[in-house]
Amino acid sequence: MEYVLILMPSMLKGTSVTLQLFFLTLIITLPLGVILALARLTKFKPLNLFMQLYVWVFRGTPLLLQLFFVYFGLGILGLKIDRFSAAVLAFVLNYAAYYAEIFRAGIQSIDRGQYEAADVLGLTRVQTMTKIVLPQVFRRVLPPVSNEVINLIKDTALVYAIGMSELLRVAKTAAVRDFSFIPFLVAAVFYLAMTGVVQQFFKWLEAKTNFYR
Amino acid sequence: MKKKIAIMLVLCLSLGVFMMGCGNSEPEPNDVKEPVVEDTSWLDIKEKGYFVMGLDDAFPPMGYREQGTDDIIGFDIDLANAVAKEMGVEVKFQPVIWDTIIEELNGKNIDLIWNGLTITDVRKKAMAFTDPYIEDKQLIVIQPSSDIADKTDLAGKIIGIQAGSSAIEAVERDAKTYESIGELVEFGSNDEALLDLTTGRVDAVVVDEVVGRYYKGKKPDDYKIIADHFGTEEFGVGLRLEDKAFLAELQKALKAVKADGTASEISIKWFGVDITK
Repeated sequence: MEYVLILMPSMLKGTSVTLQLFFLTLIITLPLGVILALARLTKFKPLNLFMQLYVWVFRGTPLLLQLFFVYFGLGILGLKIDRFSAAVLAFVLNYAAYYAEIFRAGIQSIDRGQYEAADVLGLTRVQTMTKIVLPQVFRRVLPPVSNEVINLIKDTALVYAIGMSELLRVAKTAAVRDFSFIPFLVAAVFYLAMTGVVQQFFKWLEAKTNFYR
Repeated sequence: MKKKIAIMLVLCLSLGVFMMGCGNSEPEPNDVKEPVVEDTSWLDIKEKGYFVMGLDDAFPPMGYREQGTDDIIGFDIDLANAVAKEMGVEVKFQPVIWDTIIEELNGKNIDLIWNGLTITDVRKKAMAFTDPYIEDKQLIVIQPSSDIADKTDLAGKIIGIQAGSSAIEAVERDAKTYESIGELVEFGSNDEALLDLTTGRVDAVVVDEVVGRYYKGKKPDDYKIIADHFGTEEFGVGLRLEDKAFLAELQKALKAVKADGTASEISIKWFGVDITK
């Protein structure tokens, strides 16, 4: 127990890196996902094709590889960004691809009849989207979005690869130093606490937004 | 209306790509000049007032995080600070992972690697080394109950080793033993290999002397170190191949620190004996 207390300061520091990366990625990615989904659904062919290519590339390669490309690859091309920014950029590019697909599925799940009804009522296309379609989409995509948000917390552990001391890396350095397995147990508890909060939040949000039933 | 939104989106996206393109082209004038101008590596560092030292911060006792304070400490840290003081600059420590040290160095994220780095012929092609500052052996660590007495007893046995470490090269160099052993299992780090030795899933671990002795000190009852070993090796500091001026200055300072006894003092503090070279 005393040992766990000794570990605390560094574990908390690692957790703060994890959480910063998590929140920043989330704040950028969620709205970006909506925009990308709309871009993917447009009938304007070049944009549509570009989006398909984008999703293919960023959903189709390992996030770890993308981290290496953003941090080391762009560096070779002369675009030097610091570790944290590189991590955020790679995570945003990757997760936006997933969210774009989730939101696309959500938008496509709305019945055509609703568009026609909105048209009859004299709503513009933008009004239909923002006032009729997207609120329903928001409710429908909550379960898959919560899946990805929880995945995001766990994926932050990958940034050790570009020399960032996030939670799991901090546990690893302590485990190596003290030759003990306890730091990993502490890290597991930290991750469970974080994902537990996210899980409860989405549960509450789903109940709260249950206004169409 | 739909088209308008689409065009706006295309504009936004292409603007983004364009801006990234701009970011790329900016440093180019410098890149082009570099081969022409003289080696400014040392002047640059003197001007900055520090050099960035890359290290794996999970590599006790050479460089690791102090329990409680989380500060980076270790033999290499003390020696680097002493050398930097001699040079009149400071050291900034940047944790990196072992797999990407060359990319970190060539990408100029760090100025040197100082982390119990063994000088090998393969590595000499990728980076410039200072003169060696430590000499150590590649030890063979076994379970206390094991009957392995020397290298010939390793025939048919499973050996654990750190991936990408010089220990692998040392074992491979010993062709006779290398061919006789059963399997070479590569682990992410030395501590994982040693942990697997306690479970008996590997029969022996080949590891740097400094690291082996650190863990033997932590768990004296779990490990035995045998007298036979896979040869001696030397640790050096790794720099970019082209940074010749910086290398010369560093070399001078390292020599001075060795000559005035500071290096020996640091060695005795960390290892109990003077193993500096």
